[in-house]
Amino acid sequence: MDDTLIAILRSGTPLIYVTLAGVLAQRAGIWHLGLEGLMIIGACAAVVGTVQSGSVLVGLGIGIVLCVLASALLWFVIEKLRANPIIAGLGLTGLGLGGTDLAVQAIYGSQASVNAPFGLPRLGDAFGQYGVLSILVLFMPLAVAGVWVLTRRTRWGLQLSACGEHPFAARSVGVNPARMRLAALCLGGVFCAIGGAELSMGSLQIFAYGMTAGRGFMAFAAVIFGAAHPVGATGASLFFAIVGALGIRAQLLFGERVPHDLLLALPYIATVIGVWISGKLRGGAKAAATFGELRDY
Amino acid sequence: MIGYLTQVIRALAFVFIALLLCSIIFEFAGFSAPLMFQSIAEGAFMSTRAWQNSLRWGLPLFLTALGVVISFRCGFFNIGAQGQFYMGAIAATFVVDGLNGQPAFIVIPLTFAAGILGGAVWAAWPGILRVRSGTDEVITTLMGNFIAGLLLIYVTSGPLKDPSGTGQAASSRPVGELYRISAGNSLSPTIIVICVLVGVAMWVLVNRTSFGVLSSLAGRNPIMVVWQGAKLSRLGLVGFVIGGGLAGLAGTIEVLGPIGRLSSGMLPTHGFTAILIALVANLSVMATAFVAVFFGGLAAAGLYLPVLAGLPAAAIDIINAAIALFITARTWPKRLTGLLRVRRETT
Repeated sequence: MDDTLIAILRSGTPLIYVTLAGVLAQRAGIWHLGLEGLMIIGACAAVVGTVQSGSVLVGLGIGIVLCVLASALLWFVIEKLRANPIIAGLGLTGLGLGGTDLAVQAIYGSQASVNAPFGLPRLGDAFGQYGVLSILVLFMPLAVAGVWVLTRRTRWGLQLSACGEHPFAARSVGVNPARMRLAALCLGGVFCAIGGAELSMGSLQIFAYGMTAGRGFMAFAAVIFGAAHPVGATGASLFFAIVGALGIRAQLLFGERVPHDLLLALPYIATVIGVWISGKLRGGAKAAATFGELRDY
Repeated sequence: MIGYLTQVIRALAFVFIALLLCSIIFEFAGFSAPLMFQSIAEGAFMSTRAWQNSLRWGLPLFLTALGVVISFRCGFFNIGAQGQFYMGAIAATFVVDGLNGQPAFIVIPLTFAAGILGGAVWAAWPGILRVRSGTDEVITTLMGNFIAGLLLIYVTSGPLKDPSGTGQAASSRPVGELYRISAGNSLSPTIIVICVLVGVAMWVLVNRTSFGVLSSLAGRNPIMVVWQGAKLSRLGLVGFVIGGGLAGLAGTIEVLGPIGRLSSGMLPTHGFTAILIALVANLSVMATAFVAVFFGGLAAAGLYLPVLAGLPAAAIDIINAAIALFITARTWPKRLTGLLRVRRETT
């Protein structure tokens, strides 16, 4: 039981941090498909930064700076150049995947993965079996609560939702939707960097090309599944993590009789079913969508 | 005509901006950007051999991109071309592997049918979910890509595994010489003929049939289409299925033609590149053909770079991604256009 819980927390924590970034963007009216790219930038920067400087904090800091810069680039493209957020987000994802590959090859030659000498600080013996988890797992509930307070209990959070749902109303009370979106994306960039760092430095202390393996997209699905509510989306991503952990558990129980690769597909199938159910419950999109275009009025 | 020219110039301008961003990234990573672009051009277009390679990679991309064009025109964001491409390839391999030994004139048509059907089915379920329960197709097709990728790993290391395979990536048994539609990893007249036929058929479908007119109307103004009395959901579903079928066809061609077998993790960026081609071509069938050859050239250069120029192949991914970032942009920043207008008025 404890093993399974540790596995769930281990795979769920990065997902939840990135989901929070998606929640902020979704509330501002942006379909954020660049989460995957931001996450891998964070993962890569944390490992490479730690190896080069010898300090985890520096690695994490570099990741945060790079992710915020990339988020600002995305904001410029979709807000100022009026590009389609979905395609631009996919482009940012590609830029993250290719850019981290290029960076690793430029620094370490044609090496497939980079090992860090040490990872994020662990919880330690005080937590018994759970001591192997990184301290970011402990901060995760705080981050969820923080985003909940920010989006549901502050003036800024309500203005942010207004920008996403009815930009005209936001404008009429003097809120600038463009500026709110920039703030939401950049704050999301910070969360993506932390999530990526937890992924690469939380347990394995390794960066490999394409190691996010669709987790960013899964986080985006969790945002939709959880109706862009911080707690709901966190629950959705926890659910995905549980399904993934159960798949590994089934592997241990049934051995070779269940094909391993099909079990790996379980979270994706769960995502489809989840989005399908949430669409049914809430009516979904009936007409051809606006392709996630930003609205100003 | 002027409008057409503006569109071309606009697309070229944003591709140029994307390449500028790429040069900045290359320089930061410690590679010389001019050298990089020069090597890419050499690998893509500077020799007959390079041109052949560009076409070899460009033609399957052209088919998949046509599928994306059709479904985007209908107003549905089918970004699952990658999964549909994989499912087409898997279905084709099952048929050609299962019917091994039968005469070629039976096997090859059946394989094509299976491949197209495989892709179409993989596009149909997100389509049905979309039109019946309003499930967002962006997420379902995206997840479909991942599921199809894992299924590909499963069949190449399970049911279709080549027992004599040596380490590396798992793959199926090579397709028998009898059933191949091109020799080795190269182009053949058969593939070119198929692509031209499909291209012409799609051009007619988009520009000369009521489906084409209604679908492009549906993409721009869905409410209008409903008021005209057309079934939006049927249009969309047909768009999905045609799109999936074309991606499946591209997968079949790769299996029977240049690659000659199914291997896990084959062409992992095929679908994304196809979406890019469709967008750069501004969803026009004619333009798609030219743009596909350009991106085929980039793909060919991706194989050329690490071997002959000693540069990382990730450069191609970065160029593709940067183009994706900018290609859908519709305006310039207001300040910039304002500046230009002021200058025009003063001169």
